[in-house]
Amino acid sequence: MTKALFKKQMMEAFSWLYRNRKTGKNRSKAGIIGFGVFYFLIIFGVLGSVFYIMADSLCEPLMNAGIAWLYWAIMGLVTVALGVFGSVFNTYASLYQAKDNDLLLSMPVPVRHILVMRLSGVYFMGLIYELVVIIPALIQWFINGGSLWALQLPLVLSILVLALSCILGWVVALISGKLRNKNIITVIMSLAFIGGYYYIYANAYKILMSILADPFALGEKVKGILYPFYHMGLGAAGNFVSVLIFAAMVAALFAIVYAVLSRSFIALATANKGAAKAKYREKAVKAAPADSALLRKEMRRFLGSANYMLNCGLGVIMMVLAAVALVIFKDSVTEVLFGVFGRTASIIPMLAAAAVCMITTMCDMAAPSVSLEGKSIWLAQSLPVTASQVLMAKLKLQLVLTVPPALLLTAAVLGVLQPSWYFCLLLPVIILAFILFMALLGLATNLKLPNLNWTSEIIPIKQGASVAVALFGGWAVVVALGGVYVLLSKLLAPELYLLCTAVLLFAVSVWLLHWIRTKGAAIFETL
Amino acid sequence: MLKIVNLTKTYGDKRAVDDLTLHILPGEIYGFIGHNGAGKTTTIKSVCGILKFDSGEIMIDGTSIREDPLGCKRKLAYIPDNPDMYEFMTGIQFLNFVADIFGVSADDRRKRIAEYADAFSLTDDLAQPISAYSHGMKQKLAIISALIHEPKLVIMDEPFVGLDPKASHILKGMMRDICDRGGAIFFSTHVLEVAEKLCDKIAIIKDGKLIKSGTMDEVKGDDSLEEVFLELEDAK
Repeated sequence: MTKALFKKQMMEAFSWLYRNRKTGKNRSKAGIIGFGVFYFLIIFGVLGSVFYIMADSLCEPLMNAGIAWLYWAIMGLVTVALGVFGSVFNTYASLYQAKDNDLLLSMPVPVRHILVMRLSGVYFMGLIYELVVIIPALIQWFINGGSLWALQLPLVLSILVLALSCILGWVVALISGKLRNKNIITVIMSLAFIGGYYYIYANAYKILMSILADPFALGEKVKGILYPFYHMGLGAAGNFVSVLIFAAMVAALFAIVYAVLSRSFIALATANKGAAKAKYREKAVKAAPADSALLRKEMRRFLGSANYMLNCGLGVIMMVLAAVALVIFKDSVTEVLFGVFGRTASIIPMLAAAAVCMITTMCDMAAPSVSLEGKSIWLAQSLPVTASQVLMAKLKLQLVLTVPPALLLTAAVLGVLQPSWYFCLLLPVIILAFILFMALLGLATNLKLPNLNWTSEIIPIKQGASVAVALFGGWAVVVALGGVYVLLSKLLAPELYLLCTAVLLFAVSVWLLHWIRTKGAAIFETL
Repeated sequence: MLKIVNLTKTYGDKRAVDDLTLHILPGEIYGFIGHNGAGKTTTIKSVCGILKFDSGEIMIDGTSIREDPLGCKRKLAYIPDNPDMYEFMTGIQFLNFVADIFGVSADDRRKRIAEYADAFSLTDDLAQPISAYSHGMKQKLAIISALIHEPKLVIMDEPFVGLDPKASHILKGMMRDICDRGGAIFFSTHVLEVAEKLCDKIAIIKDGKLIKSGTMDEVKGDDSLEEVFLELEDAK
């Protein structure tokens, strides 16, 4: 029984390896090996090498300074942070949101077996993240002649990661059960996480140098604030008593978590997982025209999905941030650009236009919008609206969300660079033409390559061909237009080239719009 | 109210609906029965303008669905067998969306939502996201959204699946009310007892072809509808 349960849990935890999420079919053996090797290379090759470099910078200096324990305290903290935060959503889903709890609880399976099985899935997922840090750290440790006592760390830390994942997963379950605007919160949290990641990435060298500049001061802080990690480091460096102390602390924490979980598992597994129930109170509503209703529906679709917002709407925030950053760092930007190209060089507004267009490609809400209709497409098809009206609402969503921040960024660009008056006129025109063209291209591609049979919305949003075309195709268009400019720069003045490009983009957009309203609408009606 | 004349729809080589002709008058509840894959849903989706058909004609209250699909859709309401709705909306947002599409005034929609939601005991849940609804709640919401614009013709695919006994009873009453006001109901079902009690007329379809239709008495005579249906199904 235990074997069957364990096998089921491993199948669930590693379904991403043997099952193609896009087709829902199992991969062939060669496919599993190929995907596994690819995944291994990405995780351990790319991420692992980052941690290897970190370990390389810290290990030798700290060992030479006689505070080898601090090396392990730092690497241990990074291991735990990655293991816990990396697997927290998996923990939340498998411990608190598992869909087969009712099935398993109805079978003659002891509750503790179900709990252990669930924990095994969480353990292995956390272990993968943990090994990404701990293996490079161990390699560096042994290269520098470190003690063999460090070999106990992967095991002890994996238990710590498991215990902390369970606690954090519970916190996530608690928060997500109470919140009403979960999607917005998820987006803000994700952006904060991405921002934090980039901050650490950009300042990694500075952080490492500050550690190495005065490691003893940091050591004192760790001892004071994170006492268990002090013993973890001492243990790894060969202090047997510290090994026992840290292992005992971890064991005690895990015992408490396990005891709480085993007592409350049935309540957790069978709890009503719905959000805090909002009672309906009648409010005055205004009747709206069908086109407004359709646009509002698209907006709700966008704001109702953190995945949709993060993957297709990141450009909105990036444009606003870029505009603010441009104004704040105005002097540095102009100093570099005017220094390299000269104050009046026409290449500067050209490059600025290309850069703004590149950022606008991060807004591609229209690209997966047809596929996102999914199984509810019968509504759009059976309601008394034309397919063209439905498609125009999808187009409008992208324009409404992309144009204002793009104009804000363009205004910041023009304000900072202060180009000649004709560039001040042409830049907004070319950027608007590009935004319109990309929105139409994404929508048209999705009509040609729709996928309505998805099981998770992430498939059309992240893996859809139309999204790839909208994102990478947009970059390709910008690069191609830049290349053509270089070729024609002796024949055409830059302002004339921008004008011709804008006219060309508008002309193609008119053709695409006509195609969507006629042939595209006919395709939509028969999906 | 609904005229289906020589309707034919094929999927590749398979004739899903083959030369089907039906005529539903105002005031009638018309049942549509047949085995799985007989062509019921294809017929229903063609009538609602969701599926394009190969040949034949469908007229709704005198208007051709081919020539004026929007005009026809404004007169009818469709409730599918598995109502996948916009799960990112709350119940009330969805009802207001549908009301906006049909151009229902703020006052009318308020009255109708209150009436139908109370009848189906769904009022308290209207602020919930549809993703949190059970199948039965979704079915109730689909019914309310279908009735919000007072359609002349209501087309339903297996409307009783997932409904609790009280909701089923209320729906039957609503179906009769619509017909009493001059509307018509065309619905498919596998529950023959319900069809026998509720329908004025019945049509039996097999492998895309209409094999029997008419008033309940004409179709079943002194037998039960179940006996007649099984007999016709078994006949080659």
